[in-house]
Amino acid sequence: MSQNDRMKKIRNFSIIAHIDHGKSTLADRILEATQAVSKREMEEQILDNMDLEKERGITIKARAVKLDYTAPDGETYVFNLIDTPGHVDFNYEVSRSLNACDGALLVVDATQGIEAQTLANAYLAVDAGLEIIPVINKIDLPSADIDRVRGEVEDQIGIPAEDCPTVSAKTGLNIEQVLEAVVRDVPAPKGDEDAPLKALIFDSYYDSYLGVVVNVRVMDGQLRAGERIRLMSTGKEFEVVEVGTMEAFGLSKCECLRAGEVGYITASIKSVGDTRVGDTVTLAERPAEKALPGFKAVQPMVFAGIYPADGAKYGDLRDALEKLRLNDAALTFEPETSIALGFGFRCGFLGLLHMEIIEERLEREFNLDLITTAPGVIYEVTMRGGEMIRIDNPSNYPTTDEIEVAKEPLVKASIITPTEYVGGLMDLCQDRRGIFHDMKYLDSTRVELHYDLPLNEIIYDFFDALKSRSRGYASLDYELKGYEPSKLVKLDFLLNGEQVDALSFIVHEEKAYARARRIAERLKENIPRQLFEIPIQAAIGSRVIARETVKAMRKDVLAKCYGGDITRKKKLLEKQKEGKKKMRQLGSVQVSPEAFMAVLKLGDDD
Amino acid sequence: MMTDKAGIYIHVPFCLSKCHYCDFCSRTRADDETKKLYVTRLCEEIRVFGSELEGRPVADTVYFGGGTPTLLSSEQLSRILDTVNEVFGIDQGAEITAETNPKSADLLKLRDMRSIGINRLSIGMQSVHDNELKALGRIHRFSDFADTYLDARQAGFNNVSVDLMYGIPEQNIESFRRSVETLAVAHPEHISSYCLTVEDGTHFGNRRDSLVLPDEDAVSEMYIMMTEMLRAYGYEKYEISNFAHNGQVSRHNLKYWKREDYLGFGPAAHSFFGGVRFANSRDVEGYLNGKDIKEHSEKITDRDAADEYVMLGMRLREGIDIGEFNRIFDVDFMERYGNTFERFAPEYISIDDRRCAFTDKGMFVSNYILSET
Repeated sequence: MSQNDRMKKIRNFSIIAHIDHGKSTLADRILEATQAVSKREMEEQILDNMDLEKERGITIKARAVKLDYTAPDGETYVFNLIDTPGHVDFNYEVSRSLNACDGALLVVDATQGIEAQTLANAYLAVDAGLEIIPVINKIDLPSADIDRVRGEVEDQIGIPAEDCPTVSAKTGLNIEQVLEAVVRDVPAPKGDEDAPLKALIFDSYYDSYLGVVVNVRVMDGQLRAGERIRLMSTGKEFEVVEVGTMEAFGLSKCECLRAGEVGYITASIKSVGDTRVGDTVTLAERPAEKALPGFKAVQPMVFAGIYPADGAKYGDLRDALEKLRLNDAALTFEPETSIALGFGFRCGFLGLLHMEIIEERLEREFNLDLITTAPGVIYEVTMRGGEMIRIDNPSNYPTTDEIEVAKEPLVKASIITPTEYVGGLMDLCQDRRGIFHDMKYLDSTRVELHYDLPLNEIIYDFFDALKSRSRGYASLDYELKGYEPSKLVKLDFLLNGEQVDALSFIVHEEKAYARARRIAERLKENIPRQLFEIPIQAAIGSRVIARETVKAMRKDVLAKCYGGDITRKKKLLEKQKEGKKKMRQLGSVQVSPEAFMAVLKLGDDD
Repeated sequence: MMTDKAGIYIHVPFCLSKCHYCDFCSRTRADDETKKLYVTRLCEEIRVFGSELEGRPVADTVYFGGGTPTLLSSEQLSRILDTVNEVFGIDQGAEITAETNPKSADLLKLRDMRSIGINRLSIGMQSVHDNELKALGRIHRFSDFADTYLDARQAGFNNVSVDLMYGIPEQNIESFRRSVETLAVAHPEHISSYCLTVEDGTHFGNRRDSLVLPDEDAVSEMYIMMTEMLRAYGYEKYEISNFAHNGQVSRHNLKYWKREDYLGFGPAAHSFFGGVRFANSRDVEGYLNGKDIKEHSEKITDRDAADEYVMLGMRLREGIDIGEFNRIFDVDFMERYGNTFERFAPEYISIDDRRCAFTDKGMFVSNYILSET
């Protein structure tokens, strides 16, 4: 078979959708319809096989699967379905996954229509030069409005939707339309299997037996076990142990991966840090001249201190973070020490969702109780002496008189919302120091707003506030724009005159008073009364800007003795002692981990 | 610590109605047949226990607690006392206490009780204000208490204890002051005054959210005020919640604090004997059916014994005699506990070479300080 004939039968595509629009369900139906998985074997949503993903209904890491599809005309096609993450935190990963494809199914909910993520992902797909096939889903629902949604797709994305598949992924209705559209509309891959190897890494994960398993789309050339590969961004070389394809139920070794194909490579690689998404794999013997375009090393944007609630678990936390990093090149961590919280790590994340996912995985998979400090961003500070420093930890923030200029990161945010919520959302953006750019009517009922917003305003509770002000209808997408000078101050908190380092954070001057008051109140609510009065102060430098007091405890006694039931009394006291052991001693003040969390989880809308 | 004396506790789990705060083992349905059967079971339990025991102690206190023990007839109370006397022997001069509630015993009954040897009465007054009594779910009014109290005096009880409560619904500092004063003027020999604890599973416990109670500052003020007022009337606070006039302490309750031996009979009764703590379950039905309801037994280790000694001894005004502690446990008190307590001196703790005790203010935050040890 000539390489042309071989490639003609390959379809590399992904499914993109707004969260909840049914991407995973559609993927399941495609797996079923191609009989990669029988109904009986099918555990719901195989592609999303992490518990967390199932609960959140999102895909965290890209996954790919190879399927054989026999079309009604009798021809058999190879489908490589490449799943993509569905959240702005993972935009770069999405773009790389899309670059591994030749086409994309754009799933749109027939009851909801197009939303911010749909658009953002569609633009990414257009940028990647993909053929986009709209799929209108959930047509079984009574509120489905297929014609309206078709119109939206044509008007807002500019692709024809007259004959697009209309399906119910849930019931399986019209799934064959989707399969036929893939065959008909997704272009076969192009490439030259005789050219020097160029394979795009779109995912990699650590397996304790195989080492790092690298998922690639081969653009040109071919690759066999035993050959020496070179990763073009770093120049690192490895000897290939195995190549193969990703089948529905696991890896399947093959002799050779060729141009146009999607598969995996193992090469005794120890760290996913060496196999960055977007990098190009070539052969050491006969390297490609130029790497594939678009590679960038992902940089964490959001930082927080993570501490074990029980100080003795520091080693466990380190081990757990190291295990997670094996599979997550975007996660960074450095040991740090807090007077208040003891030993912990300053961790870097792609965004808030990424941070929440890491926290939840640490808690669930590694059984750790954590205290996480308020998330922050990286600030760029130019000192009086001209030196520029990047600060990801409030503890390292210089004093005001040392600073020439401080800059904070801004993002370009796009918000799509039904028109009735525009006023409330504009207020919100205004309140978060947003700079309004424009407002575009998508149709008579919906608007797209564009703002520049400081990232540190978004990482608090912006998303929750957005949802609550729009009854859940507004959607948000953002990307980093750059750094702008800003009037930033470091806000410190003192308990009984002693500064609690873990509570410090950097905030815009205008926001400092309101937030200081709110946190001081929160502290007051959450610090248990102790035998002495505890003043709580919020300060910028030496200037106190908010003050509260925890009154002294006056009653803590078990008055009654139950007919000589001393055992009960002992148990109560034991319980109290246990509680005290968990307390953090901050100078003279005891604070429970729960109190810390209640204060640190503060959103400033409440 | 072993003596040949022991306190005997008899639990009577019957009441006319259940109060809103009550977490004690009691039931409101009790016909004559049930009571009769209950007394039979009690006497059986005392006999069986006694027969299995080597070296029976002599009872120097007997305490009928409840529930409302005076819902039993004086004949029934007498039968129980006879059984205790038969099995253990009751000391000459033993303190024999019965709890009662206003409206639960008339003059005749009280006379009979006095004549069978009960020499101390503990009356559940709780408050002098009818609105507060109602809010507590008590079925009596203040005037009912006054009747019972006067009847008790007339019946010849010259050692009477009265219960008070504070931190209760509808109460304020002023209303509590009147309760304390009214009671002090009546001049019982002993006063037990408890701060309300809202327990799960009680009427109050099920309504925590809607319950309006005096706040922590008010309750603390009530405690200090009560201590000072009663002191002015000649009462010594010899334990966190107990006041005695002229040294007329509750000898039975002191055994709890001093880790002396006591044996409890009936459901939910607790015992401490020969270094072992054991207890019956709250299963009244099972008890009536003759089921063995022993549910808990714990041999106290030396370390635990020392901790208990401190926890219990510190409830007393006199606190811990450091020399005695060191002798009994062969451990240096100052080394094991002293540092912690010294941190709270002199405001909450008074401590010198011989003695360690809570101050008045310290008593009311005693759990906080004990939980630091």
